[in-house]
Amino acid sequence: MKKILICLFALLIAVPAYAIDGTQLLKQIDRNLNPESYELYRKLINIEPDGRKKEYVLFTVKKGRDKVAALFLSPASEKGRSTLRLGDNMWLYIPNVGKPVRITNLQSVVGGIFNNSDIMQLDYADEYNVEKIEEQGGEYLLHLKAKTKTVAYDRLKLWADKNKKLPTKIECLTEASMLIKTLYFKEVKDFGGGTVRPSVIETDSPLYKGYKSVIIVANIKKKEFKDEVFTLTFMSNIESLRK
Amino acid sequence: MIKRYFLFSALLVVLFSPFCLVAEEYKFDLSEIEKKPYHIGGYLEFRPVLFGLDRDASLYKLKFFKRDEGKTIEEYNGKLQIEGSYEKGIARLFVRTNFDLTYSYLGWEHNEPQRMIYEGYLSLKPTPSLSFKFGKQILLWGKGYAFNPVAFVSRGKDPDDPELALEGFIAASADYIKSFNGPLKTLSITPVILPVYEHINDDFGKVNKLNFAGKLYLLLYDTDIDLIAMTAGSRTSRVGMDFSKNITTNLEIHGEFAFINNQRKKVIDSLGKISESKFDAKNYLLGIRYLTASDTTFIFEYYRNGTGFSHLEMKDYFTFIDKGYDLFLSKRNESLLKKAASVTQGNYGRPNPMKDYLYLRVTQKEPFNILYFTPAITTIMNLNDKTLSLSPELLYTGFTNWEFRLKGTALVGQRETEFGEKQNDYRLELRVRFYF
Repeated sequence: MKKILICLFALLIAVPAYAIDGTQLLKQIDRNLNPESYELYRKLINIEPDGRKKEYVLFTVKKGRDKVAALFLSPASEKGRSTLRLGDNMWLYIPNVGKPVRITNLQSVVGGIFNNSDIMQLDYADEYNVEKIEEQGGEYLLHLKAKTKTVAYDRLKLWADKNKKLPTKIECLTEASMLIKTLYFKEVKDFGGGTVRPSVIETDSPLYKGYKSVIIVANIKKKEFKDEVFTLTFMSNIESLRK
Repeated sequence: MIKRYFLFSALLVVLFSPFCLVAEEYKFDLSEIEKKPYHIGGYLEFRPVLFGLDRDASLYKLKFFKRDEGKTIEEYNGKLQIEGSYEKGIARLFVRTNFDLTYSYLGWEHNEPQRMIYEGYLSLKPTPSLSFKFGKQILLWGKGYAFNPVAFVSRGKDPDDPELALEGFIAASADYIKSFNGPLKTLSITPVILPVYEHINDDFGKVNKLNFAGKLYLLLYDTDIDLIAMTAGSRTSRVGMDFSKNITTNLEIHGEFAFINNQRKKVIDSLGKISESKFDAKNYLLGIRYLTASDTTFIFEYYRNGTGFSHLEMKDYFTFIDKGYDLFLSKRNESLLKKAASVTQGNYGRPNPMKDYLYLRVTQKEPFNILYFTPAITTIMNLNDKTLSLSPELLYTGFTNWEFRLKGTALVGQRETEFGEKQNDYRLELRVRFYF
């Protein structure tokens, strides 16, 4: 009888954890961060140990699960440069060169701590499987594993606020669980249209000691685009989507 | 004393507090993303170059036979590239100008005024699927990094600096794009009309001709494929295709193939007899782009230039220059050197005039975690005469809108070879750019 009671008690406390559908939770986090199709503006700031900063402003459009395009608006040295991701295909367009060039998925298009996954990010649920969920006080800890080798970070540890279902911290890890960088999500803001999400993401990396990078998000708008916008031929015209 | 200390402290607070505030705040003003109907930008460049001359080389003799400039010459280059655009509704007007100013042993020089407009066109975009462009424009086709055998309607790029902006041609073009679900994801068609008349694209080929070209682009099974053609007119008719595909996450392969009908080649023998042959030429390229885990990028290309000269033809050309130089030294007679010069421009003197080349460029992103620092080394190897150019470079872009590049080039080759007979043994240049 005592054993049965212990088993029942163990089941009772175990049920809440197993009741969470990791994939559904991750999809919910994705939708809370952005609509599935949208346009948004971001400022990327690299801060060096001596306080020197380098800033980039990007205009990004996304459609569905796997179509993303981004255009650099500043600084002047990068203005007009655009990147396109269509599934696992990725291209870079440099105005001076005059034609898009196919790039390998892992190639970085800006210097510093940022890489393509920061600029051409898809939904987490599209790139990662949830391996395990833990509950830590007011937060969930999701252990994510990349679905394919094309993803920049093989593993993620994502901490999310239980109530808001928004990330608070993400650790990006290699296959061997070596920490590459940590993202801290801050300053939750109402962007309108039902999007309430962190507006500032700070990043640090043990690989770049003393360096910090910040992403500030602005003007997220749910928007539909024609498929033709996400084509190599359209890359030099992304500016025309800005109103 | 206390008063002085207080004043000093106050001064420190006043001086440094704004910087502290700025360092802690992350500002993103909406004015930074506000779209204006017009845009003006560009860059200013200063590029001093030191050339180490090879005084025994044939091309040195051809150029310097009447003057002695010593073992080295200096050149100071300035460049101002300005671009501007104005957008209203579906229309956009775009202009890119390029002004080059050089000070060398020849004194001050600048590029010709008619060559200062690199691009100047009106584009109309009624829908994202359809657009038109009228005016001077760059239509750079092909997937190669250093060479583009299928770039039928653009000027040849310099393999030594393939990312430099090129001057366009006056043309009318359109783009029609269609996306699909399934193995064929994208299809786009680009028809081009390129007129060649006196004062309009007259350096493209035969004048008083209207040239038609076109490109069909497909994204099929995650592979970029272009089918390209140009009808006979100012140049002979030609067809081509190119492709590009990511094989793995860090390996991309690309290739180009061009078939040129009735290509003409002007050859000079060692006695100075000029003959012209006509043949169908095949030009092609195969290349890869490979990224290692440590952020080293390799770009490797093999280029077959079917219109190029054989090693023997180049040897004859160099031998004839040497004969002309000997004649000039003995009798002050320039006639043979003038004849050699007449077959140099756009022929023997074009970049990579021979048949088989290997190109390798290795870049290392931010070694030793030095942000914005990219060292690279590039080599172009002539497989026909076993000569090469080797160019190490250091690039730093750490200051916003500034770019610093230090580049050296050494030319390695025996006598009567392409790189061995160039006028320089080496070149050292600094390039400083400020973008605005």
